[in-house]
Amino acid sequence: MAVCIAVIAKQNYPLYIRSVPTQNELKFHYTVHTSLDVVEEKISAVGKSLGDQRELYLGLLYPTEDYKVYGYVTNSKVKFVIVVDSSNTSLRDNEIRSMFRKLHNSFTDVMCNPFHNPGDPIQSKTFDGIVSGMMVQTG
Amino acid sequence: MAKCVQSVQEFVQDSFVPMVAVLCSEEAETVTRKNNLNFAELLRPFCRLTSEGHIRDPNNQVQAVKNLRICVNNVVTSPNTTSAALNPAQRQLLNEVVLSCQPQEGAVTNVITAGDYHLKFSASTPWFEVYRESFLQSMPASDHEFLNHYLACLLVVSSTEAVPVEQFLKLSQEQHRIQHSGEYTSPKWFIPNTLKYYVLLHDMNEGDEQRADAVYEDMKQRYGPQGCYLLKMNSRTLSVGDDEQIPDPWSQYLHKSSLQNQVSTIASFTCNLNFFGRDPMQISFSRDPDRSVGETGSRGACLTLNDHDHIRQFIQEFTFRGLLPHIEKNIRQLNDQLVSRKGLSRSLFTATKKWFGGGKGPERSISEPKSTSGLLYPPEAPELQIRKMADLCFLIQHYELAYSCYHTAKKDFLSDQAMLYAAGALEMAAVSAFLQAGAPRPYPAHYMDTAIQTYRDVCKNMVLAERCALFSSEILKSQGKYSEAATLLIKLTSEDSDLRSALLLEQTAHCFINMRNPMVRKFAFYMILAGHRFGKAGQKRHALRCYCQAMQVYKERGWSLAEDHINFTVGRQSFTLHQPENAVTAFRQIFTHDSRQPATQQGAFLREYLYVYKNVIKGNEVGLSQLPLPCILSSATRVYFGRERRLAEGEKQAATHVSLDQEYDQDLAAMWYHLEEQLVAASNRGIVPGNFQPTQCCLNSQTDNLHHPLAVVEEPIIVEVTFRNPLKVSLALSNLSLLWNFSGDGASSTKEKMTEELSQKAITNEETLARLKLLPHRTGQLNIVGVVYNLSAASLAEMTPSTDGNAHYLTVVRGKQDLKIQGPRLNQTKEDKMLVRHGPDRRLEPIITPPMPLMEVFFLQFPTALLCGEIRKAYVEFCNVSGVALCGLRVASTHPEFFTFGSQATTPVTPLSPTSAENCSAYKTLATPPHLGSVASEMLVSAEDFSQPSSVMEIPIDGSTLQPGESTQLPLWLRGPDQEGVHEINFLFYYESTEKGIKISHRVLRHTVFICASRSLSVQASACHSSVLPQDGLDDKGSSGTLVFIDVENINTNEVGVREFHIVQVSSSSQNWRLNKFINPAKDKDCKLTSRERAKLCFRATRCKPRQATSDAVEKYTFADLNLGNEQIISSTTPCGDFFFRCRQRVDVASSSCKSQSSVSTEDIASDITNIVKKCNELDLNIIVIWKAYVVEDNKQLILEGQLHVALQTIGKDASSLTPKEEAPEMVLLKFKSELPPPVVLPSVELSQLIKTNLHYPENYTHPFGQSSLCVVPVTLTLSNCSLVHVDVLIDLRHKSTSPESLEVHSSFTWVGQTQYKLELKPQEVLCLTLRACFLKAGVYNLNTPRVFARPAEQGAMCETSQQAATPALIIINNA
Repeated sequence: MAVCIAVIAKQNYPLYIRSVPTQNELKFHYTVHTSLDVVEEKISAVGKSLGDQRELYLGLLYPTEDYKVYGYVTNSKVKFVIVVDSSNTSLRDNEIRSMFRKLHNSFTDVMCNPFHNPGDPIQSKTFDGIVSGMMVQTG
Repeated sequence: MAKCVQSVQEFVQDSFVPMVAVLCSEEAETVTRKNNLNFAELLRPFCRLTSEGHIRDPNNQVQAVKNLRICVNNVVTSPNTTSAALNPAQRQLLNEVVLSCQPQEGAVTNVITAGDYHLKFSASTPWFEVYRESFLQSMPASDHEFLNHYLACLLVVSSTEAVPVEQFLKLSQEQHRIQHSGEYTSPKWFIPNTLKYYVLLHDMNEGDEQRADAVYEDMKQRYGPQGCYLLKMNSRTLSVGDDEQIPDPWSQYLHKSSLQNQVSTIASFTCNLNFFGRDPMQISFSRDPDRSVGETGSRGACLTLNDHDHIRQFIQEFTFRGLLPHIEKNIRQLNDQLVSRKGLSRSLFTATKKWFGGGKGPERSISEPKSTSGLLYPPEAPELQIRKMADLCFLIQHYELAYSCYHTAKKDFLSDQAMLYAAGALEMAAVSAFLQAGAPRPYPAHYMDTAIQTYRDVCKNMVLAERCALFSSEILKSQGKYSEAATLLIKLTSEDSDLRSALLLEQTAHCFINMRNPMVRKFAFYMILAGHRFGKAGQKRHALRCYCQAMQVYKERGWSLAEDHINFTVGRQSFTLHQPENAVTAFRQIFTHDSRQPATQQGAFLREYLYVYKNVIKGNEVGLSQLPLPCILSSATRVYFGRERRLAEGEKQAATHVSLDQEYDQDLAAMWYHLEEQLVAASNRGIVPGNFQPTQCCLNSQTDNLHHPLAVVEEPIIVEVTFRNPLKVSLALSNLSLLWNFSGDGASSTKEKMTEELSQKAITNEETLARLKLLPHRTGQLNIVGVVYNLSAASLAEMTPSTDGNAHYLTVVRGKQDLKIQGPRLNQTKEDKMLVRHGPDRRLEPIITPPMPLMEVFFLQFPTALLCGEIRKAYVEFCNVSGVALCGLRVASTHPEFFTFGSQATTPVTPLSPTSAENCSAYKTLATPPHLGSVASEMLVSAEDFSQPSSVMEIPIDGSTLQPGESTQLPLWLRGPDQEGVHEINFLFYYESTEKGIKISHRVLRHTVFICASRSLSVQASACHSSVLPQDGLDDKGSSGTLVFIDVENINTNEVGVREFHIVQVSSSSQNWRLNKFINPAKDKDCKLTSRERAKLCFRATRCKPRQATSDAVEKYTFADLNLGNEQIISSTTPCGDFFFRCRQRVDVASSSCKSQSSVSTEDIASDITNIVKKCNELDLNIIVIWKAYVVEDNKQLILEGQLHVALQTIGKDASSLTPKEEAPEMVLLKFKSELPPPVVLPSVELSQLIKTNLHYPENYTHPFGQSSLCVVPVTLTLSNCSLVHVDVLIDLRHKSTSPESLEVHSSFTWVGQTQYKLELKPQEVLCLTLRACFLKAGVYNLNTPRVFARPAEQGAMCETSQQAATPALIIINNA
């Protein structure tokens, strides 16, 4: 499904980035990094109008030529970014939502690990597995 | 989008100006050439009108024309049709224009703060403006619009011509030919009858002014006063010396145009069009290097300021009198046409369209397929008239009218599906709508979007699309619609032009940063894209700048992959731009943090870095620069002071001391510290000085590094540096050396110097250690600051064979890295805790002190495995290897009982050399004839001869100093530890210099040995009162003997080696007792024990002779030796006695600590009694069992010797050589109230041993019962007082035992005579009582019936206790 999944810390440095075509990792890094601008824009826009009742899912951040970038922000301002191939039209918004929810749950599990130091890059195998699961389905 | 110098309005206005062509006669050309300018160039600076012009619109409204600019150009003809793309020459021009415009070094940068980003970049982008201007100028004139078509033509003729009028005619014809012959498409003309303006050029220095005036008059007649002009110029002679400063208004125009000209002349040259047949000259002239920028000073040299004014006047005259009225006239004309056609056209056109189904109408273009640009109108098509009018209105700044015209035209074109025209109209409609003052309608951005889309997609005309986008984005920007502008610009980036894409992307980036909420990351990303395109377009400098700006966003924010990429590109671009320093810095960044790149990528980075770095250091040889690789773990640095030890020399085994190979151990360090403290205390009469610092030979992160370490001159300092390679490719380091500076004591010579050490080291992605040695030759303060080394990629080294020929292919670079050690974090004060503060770490700042003695210690024949209690003789050699004498040699050990150097009092004076004593016993022996049951030989020894005050021992060397180079050998006796297992035994040797008052007060040497002790014998001893009185003539009548039983068991489990043990001697050592006699019932010669065998030995011990005189002063020990073999070992001499005392000491220490606990509970009354009793039973006899073990090892039989100690404290208690397992001391409950003393319980068992009784009687007694029925046998009862007090004794013979079995025996005899005695026995008194027993018949009787009660004399009757019942004393009465 996804071609790139990233978790970005509150301070906007990557906690986790994984992409499927590994040879072009750099491109995805750039894409994800650039998307943070949009995420911030969206957060600031929402924050004003709705107060703390915020939808975590941000929806489509922006489309590029080949990819669609979706965003999700937890209450602690950790950002999840999923990059999806544009050609994959079968993906619905709901599916993206559920992917994010799954990711969030797994991320919460990682954070609950008493041996994990918050702010460190995620190295959990379980988390890796969940992410792989989301990416593998692309086939 | 970046900020521009011009405002948007100005920019748009200036982009569309009336175009004026110039045709010049040859002579006129030469006149202007004097100023190094052609006519068009001459006019260019004055083309902006300063005064306001007026024009009447079709409705007769006066319209002001402000700030009008006209554009004067030479006619350059070309047959080319307009193309949708720029030709290569134009592209090159643009490229060069951009290339030549670089940001200034100190250009103003502004700082944008967005979130936590602080970005510095220049707000203006002059290169973009230059590009835009050049681009717009180089726009080819197009058919669908008239804005850049020529409106008028200046015909210029010199007054020097023979017949100027003829020339005018000729030029006029020429113009006509160009416009109407259809030969050339390139200069396009606005209107068929172009305005011709006749200019007579008069050179003031040449020719006749009056003639010129005359010709001008003639011209006025001919062309009317508004159609001609006399321009007088060149009033100044071109003299060399004249250097009146006249401003050069051409510079800012021609600087740009010179480039442009070159290109355009090349272009025209390639077109191979010769205008006037003298064009080659012009070309060669224009390409003359003289005309290049370098010779700007000569421009306009013949012009005075007056001439400037003339030109200005001329332009004004031309514009206001010629051009504007011409335009006004044309607008009127067009308007009239349109109005007249309006009613008709509307209906007619629509009608025809309806009737002919639109298929007819204006002829559909045959030449162009519809798909590209729709249809093409012929130049004079009526549809174009309105567009023409709109363009005219636009040029004279009548935007309102222009807009309505464009709007109408747009509708027409759209309905005709003439897409190109429609797009043009849309574009201009939007622009004029924007330019309308007061803005009655909002800017129609969608017009622009449609126009761009049409240009790009339908017409495939990127040039026009680009122009359109440039305007649109600029306008959007001025309205603050940055995001729309950005989208627009992004759309225009394409593959066909890198330069354009790069510039537009850069502008996009600027748009993002200028938004209300600056989008920093997008800015960065687009900057990178722009940089990439710049790089592709060959604009390296711009590329570098873009990447650097983007870097600010990515730097140190965890996006390492992107950061590495940028750094790498920056490095590369910097290098190609010959900024190798920057390149190196950028490359270094890549390696400073752990990168996530794959190994191949890292390898590439590394190679590139090394290559670049090498080129940099080629340039400057002076200073070595910092290398980023590999990482130095500075806190893991270890420093070792002192020489590397020889581990062994021959069979000598050196002291282990400290080496870098050992791991630091906190516990061990504490142990050594303790030992050293003891030693220092011992050498300072028991006081540890306040400034005592333990000697630290090896410093690491855990040691105390607050003080400068002390190093000794001529003794090496070894620094161990830990390198870590963060990369996935391995690195090769070579020629490592240390970098240090030194300030001597006398002269302060500080210079960074390098020293030694070498060696190739390949570092894979692990930690690697390198040891570097430094040898100080002078005293002073040393400071180790860094490491210098050669770095290369190891993978390369592997590929190339190691022959010298190939070695230079490797890029090996030399650089340094600093060694700075951060001290531990402070945590003492509040400030420390709140801030992060670090203490100093002076590991690398040693003070070099004057020479100190240096001692080496070797051990010879030092065993590694011993049996428990085994005695072995080894030798130790002390060697002073320094140039300074040493003294005060001492040793401290954790196991002082393990070894001895022998006591001076008893050791034989000359130590035997190790070789000669090889097979001898460690003991001192004395051959004695074997005599069984022999009486022990005795020896009195004072304990002080052996015992040492503490665990510190002075080492007895001759003269107590060791001169330089001297060495001495001492015997050393070892005794295997009593407990089996592996024992770690630590020695700390101490010595000091003979000179006093040196910084280093002493030095120490450590040695650690591991001894494996295996079980040998277990000795158990017990003692009991002998019931027999000493009767065999011994003189010590008063003292009774004690029987000592010794159980010896072979518990050795190592069956293979040890074959058997022989007990060769048993010695005793005590202050009061001695072993006296060996009772050997088995009559064995000596006692042999094979595996798991057990033997029992029995001895009699007696009290020593009382020694009043000596015992007061010193405690003397009596050693008594009882040898079982045929040689006597003198146990009171060195090895045996030493170890005995050492062991004793340990026991004493242990027991005294026990006693101090137990003694608390003993109390007043009871203590008296118990003391008495104790005294009575006290034995305090130490038994030394000396054995020999026969061991087979390597098919050789060896004899091992050893000794075991048993301390017998009291009679009746067992003692063992195996120390019992220590019990944990019981917890003593805290008592808050002193409790009542517990009722005194008499220690009956102990008290029952106050008096020893003995019955003496004949064992067989024959009595003729036939003769006398009563048999009276005399029996002697011997009472001996064991205690040291007076004892009252009560002897009761009548006492009847209650036990039934004794009753029947008992009744058969009676005691006769006195049956009860009351006696008082003096201490140790022996008393004999004669009793008589009366028997009635023959038989066996037990005589032991008397009951003896005793009590200490002072005690009450209650204490009376019956004394122990002795064994039955049987008597046999025979009947004779």
